[in-house]
Amino acid sequence: MSGSSFFEIAVRLRQGSFDLTVEAGLGEAAAVLGPSGAGKTTLLEAIAGLRRSAGRIAVGGEVLQDSATGLFLPPERRRLGYVPQDGALFPHLSVRRNLLFGRPHPTAPGDEDVAHLVATLELEPLLDRYPRHLSGGERRRVALARALLARPRLLLLDEPTAGLDPLRARKALAGIRRVQGELGVPLLVVTHQSEEALALASDVLLLEAGGVRGAGPARQVLRAPSALAREAGRHQENVIAGTIVQHHPEGGTTEVRINGGEAVTIPHTPDLLEGSEVLLSIDAEDLLLATSRPAGLSARNAVAGEVDELIAVGTSVYVAVGPWLVHLTPAAVEELRLAHGVRVWLVAKTHSWRVVAG
Amino acid sequence: MIVPIVLFTLEIAAASTLLILVPGVAVAWCLSRRGWRGRMVVETLVSLPLVLPPTAVGLGLLLLVGRARPVGGWLYQTFGVDIAFTWRAVVLASAVVAFPLLVRSARSAFEEVDPRLPAVARTLGRGPLGAFFAVELPLAWRGIGAGAVLAFARALGEFGATILVAGNIPGRTQTLALALYQEVQLGRDREALELAAIAALLAAGAIAISELLVRRREKTLAE
Repeated sequence: MSGSSFFEIAVRLRQGSFDLTVEAGLGEAAAVLGPSGAGKTTLLEAIAGLRRSAGRIAVGGEVLQDSATGLFLPPERRRLGYVPQDGALFPHLSVRRNLLFGRPHPTAPGDEDVAHLVATLELEPLLDRYPRHLSGGERRRVALARALLARPRLLLLDEPTAGLDPLRARKALAGIRRVQGELGVPLLVVTHQSEEALALASDVLLLEAGGVRGAGPARQVLRAPSALAREAGRHQENVIAGTIVQHHPEGGTTEVRINGGEAVTIPHTPDLLEGSEVLLSIDAEDLLLATSRPAGLSARNAVAGEVDELIAVGTSVYVAVGPWLVHLTPAAVEELRLAHGVRVWLVAKTHSWRVVAG
Repeated sequence: MIVPIVLFTLEIAAASTLLILVPGVAVAWCLSRRGWRGRMVVETLVSLPLVLPPTAVGLGLLLLVGRARPVGGWLYQTFGVDIAFTWRAVVLASAVVAFPLLVRSARSAFEEVDPRLPAVARTLGRGPLGAFFAVELPLAWRGIGAGAVLAFARALGEFGATILVAGNIPGRTQTLALALYQEVQLGRDREALELAAIAALLAAGAIAISELLVRRREKTLAE
């Protein structure tokens, strides 16, 4: 564990037959990724101080608990913005009073950050409503704002898009990314979707029932053969940032310039403003590789790159091309003579792209 | 003759309900938490007055607060206060018998509060007490209210424990239930029936209020 990590976690979590030891150092934008039952939420609750655990937890250099010295800060003194699944809003309070619940001085003047956050997360029309009259997406936005208004040193998000439809989910992720960018608040997100982890975090702690499978920079952890093997039969998402260039309603497409300069076309998504930032994802299974610039294809997207490495997992090969991961068979790798440094074009159908956040 | 008895009975029931409100809510909250030693013991002790013959409860209280008994003797010598066979004993008997009703109702109300809510309140900077008063108590108050009304109704009708520890002294410890018993003993059926009718009215009113509270709580939760 490096001393410069923002999150320094070395704890043993036990409950009944459940026993999980986590030792990891993670950066300011971190994700805990794993299947349900792996102990993700338990770990989050331990960090928040809501669950006693043996070991040491430090955040941003400040020790929150340490069994060696007997230190255990109660949750109210940790100043962590905990956003549980579905928000857990106080049902007896209006949205406004939910938002101000964690304010040190609820009526203090100069609350421009309240107004600002209310505007950023589009909460204005909800202020006088009660939680039972809000949709799932609205509840989460309120919960996120409520946590932020208590001026936490970081955010702890538990499955921020669970139960939301794809449109609401990408709006929710976009909102979190906006807040992340504007306020620069560190965060730790718990999720079972690698897509979501890649959208919000640069570091990943990969959990599996009973233990830690990997920890460190997201791509490095997710590209470890053992991690790829675990995901065998599941989709490996490539997540990439881009900017909306133009909509082509008549052609049924939207043009996105991905970071790196190349344009790709995705299915027409009119709600995204031209010039706005988006995150796209595409499955490793849905990418084709060509060793010359493809022509005469119906696929509208061809992105040039160079092969970085070949990762063999069982009877599959994952080809890493810059930020992209392509799932091929060993036969295809052989035929294309793929090796480190080979120039390739990645080809994808328009409809293979999904918007993760935007 | 009836009016002072009814008033006295209402006063006694109100006083005993008030007396148990804070300890009852505290015990109910503790019982709604899991994982502490002795929970079963406390639970059993609290529920005991519900199933014991009230006369046994009264006898137990008498052994405790009689002037020659440990607690009663100490109170008399230190403060010159008599408990047994005074209005205080009537309050005490009603309170003890009504206690489990309040605790049970309040406890299930606390159990229905999503445990994540006080947890989130803690992460938003409230201490355990702050989270209790800002989140748990407001969310559980209907259940507590319903329990308090039930306790009040139970106290109104208390007989067995009261007659043992407070006696049946007209003008001093005689409540509606005790007066009714006396009228029957004296063969004054008409007066007894009048008292019974009043008791029925009071009890019905209390039960109705309690039901109303519980129903509105269910409605709020269902939304």
